[in-house]
Amino acid sequence: MKRAAALATAAIAYVLAAWTVAPGFYDGFGPTEPYRWSCPPPQAGANTKPSAGHADIKVTNGKTEAWSVYTQDGQIVIGFLPDSFDAAGKTTVAVDITPLDTCPEPKGIRFVTNIYRITADAPLKKKANITLLYSNLKPHPDDIYRADDPGGAWTALPRSQQGQPYTIYSSTDKLGYFAAGYSSSATPPPGGVVTIGGGQTLPIIVAVLIVVVVLAGLPLALMRRRRSVQGPEEDDEEDS
Amino acid sequence: MLRAGSLAFYVLIVEWARALLAQNSRFTAAALLLGGVVLGFAALGWPAQRLGLGTSRFWLRVIGGLALGAVLLLPAAARAGGAPLLPAGLAAAAIAVSIGEELAFRGALYAALDELGGAPLAIGGSTLLWTLAHALSHPPEFLVAVAAAGLLLGLWRWACKDLVAPIIGHVIADIAL
Repeated sequence: MKRAAALATAAIAYVLAAWTVAPGFYDGFGPTEPYRWSCPPPQAGANTKPSAGHADIKVTNGKTEAWSVYTQDGQIVIGFLPDSFDAAGKTTVAVDITPLDTCPEPKGIRFVTNIYRITADAPLKKKANITLLYSNLKPHPDDIYRADDPGGAWTALPRSQQGQPYTIYSSTDKLGYFAAGYSSSATPPPGGVVTIGGGQTLPIIVAVLIVVVVLAGLPLALMRRRRSVQGPEEDDEEDS
Repeated sequence: MLRAGSLAFYVLIVEWARALLAQNSRFTAAALLLGGVVLGFAALGWPAQRLGLGTSRFWLRVIGGLALGAVLLLPAAARAGGAPLLPAGLAAAAIAVSIGEELAFRGALYAALDELGGAPLAIGGSTLLWTLAHALSHPPEFLVAVAAAGLLLGLWRWACKDLVAPIIGHVIADIAL
């Protein structure tokens, strides 16, 4: 019984400890830092506001240099090729990335990231590569969307090959507002929404699972104990 | 003492090297896969029974593993709106690193510490090293939960003298998260 009680206590302690942090802390598959939300989902726990980004891209001989602009938290990166801007008469081109404080939900799309506004003080004339990080707290996105106005029409950008986990890539020939998401008419993408209703059912589920662990461990523990009293068996290690 | 100390040093170095390598996103899967294999080397030379890998009552061990997996997943499953499926390469790496970590921490290290100072040292020592091993790969606020998971798996190893269930539970948790 001592062993069963120890297991039950450890199971409770684990559930309580794991409840205090964002889900998904095993072996480094999740983003190393928790996603910074403009509008954190309830399960996010403590949240830090997303950061902005700025860069002044140097113009040499009338052409802008190749450059990447990103937010300080690294949640969005936009990469520009050489001569990406119409920079006539300029010595630098200023690019700004600003996370929106609000989270509009356009019809037919479910965003799983913040919405970012990207602006530049010169017109873009070449495609730019855009990379968005996303969280493990929501289904993974199918596309990066772009809009001229967050309350207007959103367009899915061309899909790029899947790369690193929790990262989605695309390219754009216009700046504006960007976010990653999926079509709400589609089944939520794999990742399989594993949702157990919270509220009053949760303590019951916790209790049942702890009982399951104890019940699953009890026969093994008792058999081990009985065998250690009778003497070690070929297949069992010695009791300590 | 020398064997336990050497094992502790070995698993810490491997885990920290794996964590540092995985920080470069191009090497994440390779670091996990390679780390899992190299961690598994810690179990070489140990009889299967001393590692908790006996085959008796195997179905009970499997059920125990499923139950442990359910408990490990519960806090995430109850709150997450969904989680991305791991790409196939990462899923294979997840399985490798889960098995490697269990063989190293609750297998070889536990057995060495058990020989040295009995079950309290084996459970406490393997949990402490497990937590330290994750210090580079997890933000500090996650380490209490990491330690609690290590303690749960270590206590199972002690109570049931079994490593099959911790391996199954750890694999389930890693793949699902």
